[in-house]
Amino acid sequence: MSIQWPLVFFTLFVGLGCGTFIVTVLLTEWAGKEKQIRTFSSIIAIAALAVGGASSTLHLGHPERMFGAMAHPSSGIFMESMLSFLLGLAIVIYLLAIKRDASATVCKILGSIGAVLAIALAFVNGDAYVMPSIPAWNTLILPALYLVSAAVMGCFCTGILLARSANHDEAALTAIKKAALLTLAIQTILIIAYLVHIAVAPYPDASRSIGRILAGGLAPIFWGGLVLIGLAVPVILMKKPETSSFPMTVNFGMACVLLAGIAFRVLMFSLGSSIKQFF
Amino acid sequence: MVQRTMVIDLDRCIGCKSCEVACKQENGVTLGCTWNKVLTVGPTGTYPKVEMYYLPTMCQECKEAPCVKACPTGASYKNEDGVILVDKEKCIGCRYCMMACPYGVRTFNEETKVVEKCTLCTQLQAVGEQPACVKACPATCRFVGDIDDPNSEVSQVIQKAGSDSVHVLPDVGNKPSAQYILHSNIAKWKE
Repeated sequence: MSIQWPLVFFTLFVGLGCGTFIVTVLLTEWAGKEKQIRTFSSIIAIAALAVGGASSTLHLGHPERMFGAMAHPSSGIFMESMLSFLLGLAIVIYLLAIKRDASATVCKILGSIGAVLAIALAFVNGDAYVMPSIPAWNTLILPALYLVSAAVMGCFCTGILLARSANHDEAALTAIKKAALLTLAIQTILIIAYLVHIAVAPYPDASRSIGRILAGGLAPIFWGGLVLIGLAVPVILMKKPETSSFPMTVNFGMACVLLAGIAFRVLMFSLGSSIKQFF
Repeated sequence: MVQRTMVIDLDRCIGCKSCEVACKQENGVTLGCTWNKVLTVGPTGTYPKVEMYYLPTMCQECKEAPCVKACPTGASYKNEDGVILVDKEKCIGCRYCMMACPYGVRTFNEETKVVEKCTLCTQLQAVGEQPACVKACPATCRFVGDIDDPNSEVSQVIQKAGSDSVHVLPDVGNKPSAQYILHSNIAKWKE
């Protein structure tokens, strides 16, 4: 399968939106810290969902027929569209609750509903690709990676918001750094698990071999994009002692995880050959 | 349950690709698109024990078609004869069906922005004719009919070949109905 760039950016931006909203809800509603970022982070989440949704329509040959998808509620596209709509709606309601000074409990409940939808959407983004016809994609590690990738992007995006807010709580920054390191650690484990899956997947073929990833044509994307830019650099940045340069550090980290998100998706499409690719 | 499909006798196929040309002509398949394709498998072995065969490929008319399940709009569907078709008026060109096909035998038409595939020439079969590839085959190696009917020509051909010489493409739960005949004295079937 050739690289489907609209889908790369669809899942990247949707992942960014989902991750940002999930991390914000955990930090502000559940940990009770830095509530001032809720409005801006929710707007970022909606904007990211909108950009992702717009990108996905570029993939379609006939987007004007999209409503035909209502005929098949079990398809991946239907679930992605429906969850995107529901998440957008949940975030709008959450924003209205904040604007109207709703009680902390109401905001927590609304935010949590949105966060659950965001988790589901990030997972379904990857799950839509799980299919027996493509051995490299036929594993639940893939949607788990999409979910963790969303969480990593969410940590860095929330970190940027915290770093830019006046009088931010240092404990909140520390918590975000710890969360970023934890999600990066989980991502590392999942990437290793994905490599193992590729190595043992049925119907082996050179187009989706471990050799192609580690030492073949995909090695620059894997080692450079995923390992160096996506894991090593963000970990080093998050382990750096806190200084006044944190805003720049977290901005750079965000750029790195976005690039790594693109690299991962490019790698996935590059490995996406069918059991038999006759045409 | 009717399941029209194709049976191809690889013992007879000479790799002339007349089927590819006839398909293009009959169905007006756009340049760059493919509905069927003849591949060369091999040669394998060491001289003088070398073997090779031709493998005509097209939609395998799966009984549990993953392309139909993946289609978000119902554009990909099975008709009453079990033939998988694409309703081009419903197709949104998302290409999920192409991803879901284990054999990569669907094609995206860049001009019309919809997915296309072999239709088993339903337009010809509706008026009592054979598909274009079947009619054009000079070696008479292609057969079309209801594989679930034991009296059909395809079932008879399969029965005559013997179960050891009848092969299907890898099955990942999609249950391909198309079958290939290849006797081991001609060449060994490559999975």
